[in-house]
Amino acid sequence: MSESEAADEPMPTIPGSSGDDSEDSEDFDDSYDEMVDVEATDPRVELEKTTYRTDLGIEMAEDARRVSRGELSSAAYWEKYDDDAATEFGDDYRETPNPAVDRDDGTIDEETAETLGCSVGSMASVAAALEASENAADAESKSDGDGDGDDPRWGMVIDLQKCVGCESCTVACKAENRTPPGVSYNVVLEREEGEYPNVSRTNVPRPCMQCEKPPCVQVCPVSATYKMDNGVVNIDYDRCIGCRYCMVACPYDARYFDFGENYDGEFDEGGEVTSPEYGTDRGPREDGESPVGNVRKCNFCHHRLERGEEPACVETCVGDARYMGDLEDTDSDVNELASSSRAFQLKEKEGTDPNVYYLK
Amino acid sequence: MSTNTHETTAAIGGRRLRFAWYVLLVALLAIGGYGGYLRLAEGLRATNLSSTVPWGAWVAFYIYFVGLSAGAFLVSTLSNVFEVDGMHEIEREALFVAIVSMIVALTFVLVDLGRMDRLWHPFAWRQPLSVLSWEVHAYALYIIVLSGELYFSMRRDLVARSEADDGLRGRIAGLLTLGRTETSEESLETDRTWLKRLGMVGIPLAIVFVHGGTGNLFAVAAARSYWFSALFPVIFITSAVVSGMALIALLYVLRARLGSRALDTDLLERMAALFVGFVVLDASLKVLEAFVGIYSLHPGHVESWLTIMTGEMWWSFWVVMVGLGWIAPLVLLHRRDWRRRPALVAAAGASVVLGVIGTRFNIVVPAQIEPALYGLPTGYYVPSTPEWLLSLGIVALGVLIYTIGTELLPLVPRGEIHD
Ligand code: SF4
Ligand code: SF4
Repeated sequence: MSESEAADEPMPTIPGSSGDDSEDSEDFDDSYDEMVDVEATDPRVELEKTTYRTDLGIEMAEDARRVSRGELSSAAYWEKYDDDAATEFGDDYRETPNPAVDRDDGTIDEETAETLGCSVGSMASVAAALEASENAADAESKSDGDGDGDDPRWGMVIDLQKCVGCESCTVACKAENRTPPGVSYNVVLEREEGEYPNVSRTNVPRPCMQCEKPPCVQVCPVSATYKMDNGVVNIDYDRCIGCRYCMVACPYDARYFDFGENYDGEFDEGGEVTSPEYGTDRGPREDGESPVGNVRKCNFCHHRLERGEEPACVETCVGDARYMGDLEDTDSDVNELASSSRAFQLKEKEGTDPNVYYLK
Repeated sequence: MSTNTHETTAAIGGRRLRFAWYVLLVALLAIGGYGGYLRLAEGLRATNLSSTVPWGAWVAFYIYFVGLSAGAFLVSTLSNVFEVDGMHEIEREALFVAIVSMIVALTFVLVDLGRMDRLWHPFAWRQPLSVLSWEVHAYALYIIVLSGELYFSMRRDLVARSEADDGLRGRIAGLLTLGRTETSEESLETDRTWLKRLGMVGIPLAIVFVHGGTGNLFAVAAARSYWFSALFPVIFITSAVVSGMALIALLYVLRARLGSRALDTDLLERMAALFVGFVVLDASLKVLEAFVGIYSLHPGHVESWLTIMTGEMWWSFWVVMVGLGWIAPLVLLHRRDWRRRPALVAAAGASVVLGVIGTRFNIVVPAQIEPALYGLPTGYYVPSTPEWLLSLGIVALGVLIYTIGTELLPLVPRGEIHD
């Protein structure tokens, strides 16, 4: 026990979050602070450039710091300055929403944000908005177009010469998607060929292939698993009845049934977040809610793609063996690699046309 | 008369037997109930299923009972559609067995679902490319057709019984007539016409959709080469007919022995001969299928066959499927005079009813053992105790429904009862 506690010691702490930080870390912080101070401007000089009262500005700023240090409550702060600010800033002050006062969670709603011209909201919504505008721009610029529109077709290329078989991707995937025991969206298969001394070993990482013609989608009786325009095959956990037909239909064994098992006590919050891959928290798994009783699989970290990030396995890959991108974009790496002579798909004769390509 | 005393003792013996029978069924239901409790409490963790072998005993039993139903139904059409002599005697029994089998089959489907609470989803959301989606609807339609047929077949006797009997049976019979109490020759003719019409709808429904379709469920799964063959649905149908005939023959003999119904030896022989014919057909098709598969040297086929013949459950192939399903009935019924002996026909029937269970297991499980990709774990599956217990309970439930049905419904045509 004590050993494991000791092992916990050198964990990085949040600067200034607790009083009894070790000396070292404080020195460390100071050096950064100095760097910041060099860049800092004199508030008095800056404020005098404006038409508003300098002394009020300074006073408010100082108290604002006290608020952030926790020495003053936000409510008390606004009680103190509300009237002054109203007289000083007039209509501008009254019409601008004040998240600290108006809303419990200190945010402003989307509509207001829009009127103020600032992008706020969850990362996902920002990325989606960005993507939408980019796509719109793309569509405009691509007047001739290879044409079927705005959506990318997400594809992955895995270079087998670069893969060292470390399984980092498997681990990253488990961490990212919080998959329970028995469910592993990604695995790395090993194949040894030849006889000594001419032996070769190939590691074949296997996510879901996001097939262009997915048999799993074809067989599902309730359309709970479906193909999206961007190439990703998704599962609707609220509709899936758990018949497991898709599992026997998948030629890559890429699907896993969630039997409801948990990593009990193996790490903090094990079994807390239940389906981060769709950006949903369905509460503790113990209650047996979906996705327990459903079939699960890799979806190219759709939640990450949505906010402009690569899938966790791609990002983490030690050998840089994985590439992610739009297969339809002729400028993309994946497009180029997927059409190289080294490229192949698993079980091509099945006719599933995977969106995961491998390089021999 | 001397027959009177004979019948009285038979009745007393019968009553005791009946009591024992119900006690047995309730005991089995209780055992099954415990299995059901484990299933509910632990979810599918109570099974030995895994992501490698996602379909197991309950799916095997499901297709087994669908097959039994389709087979029993086809036996019933021998009477009402093809008008084979003397088959009228067993028509209703066959229809009723078909209905009960479907109930049992769908109960197995229910307990097998990962989310039982969503049983209704296939009716709310469809997927025109999914065989399973079509199957679910075919099953529903099939049960309606079967019930309709049974109704038209029984109506005359229901009316008669409701008039003659003031007790529970009479009242139930009265309700089941659905208010059509006329028994004029004309109305009976209408019944017969509709019976035949429904039978004709039912035949393609049972063959193509209900059972051929269940075979298709597997055959279209191209990922499992062992299933991926056009002969597969055909074999599904032949073994369905075999199991259905076996069960009807068995029940016919049993009910004649236990009740006071006379046994028609000619009918028995006809059933037995037909039955043997289908066993031979079924076995030959399976041998052909196996030959093509193994000859291909395709690993999916070869591995599956090796698993079937030498794997953990080898006995379910050699002893149950081949021994009980093929060899036993052929030995027991190969001589003409043996086919006229009720005990032998019943034994052959019982043996095949069990044997086809082996066939079904050997369809479902082995194809999933061989991993889809080199390097993935090899599957392993034998049913867990809760799986067996619950299966036992569900079968007992079916038998109970059947028994109660035989007591309350006029399943034996009147006029052919000997009293
Ligand atoms: S790899 Fe399997 S699960 Fe993924 S899309 Fe293809 S068939 Fe479906
Ligand atoms: S398990 Fe779910 S996703 Fe798979 S086929 Fe059945 S309903 Fe569809």
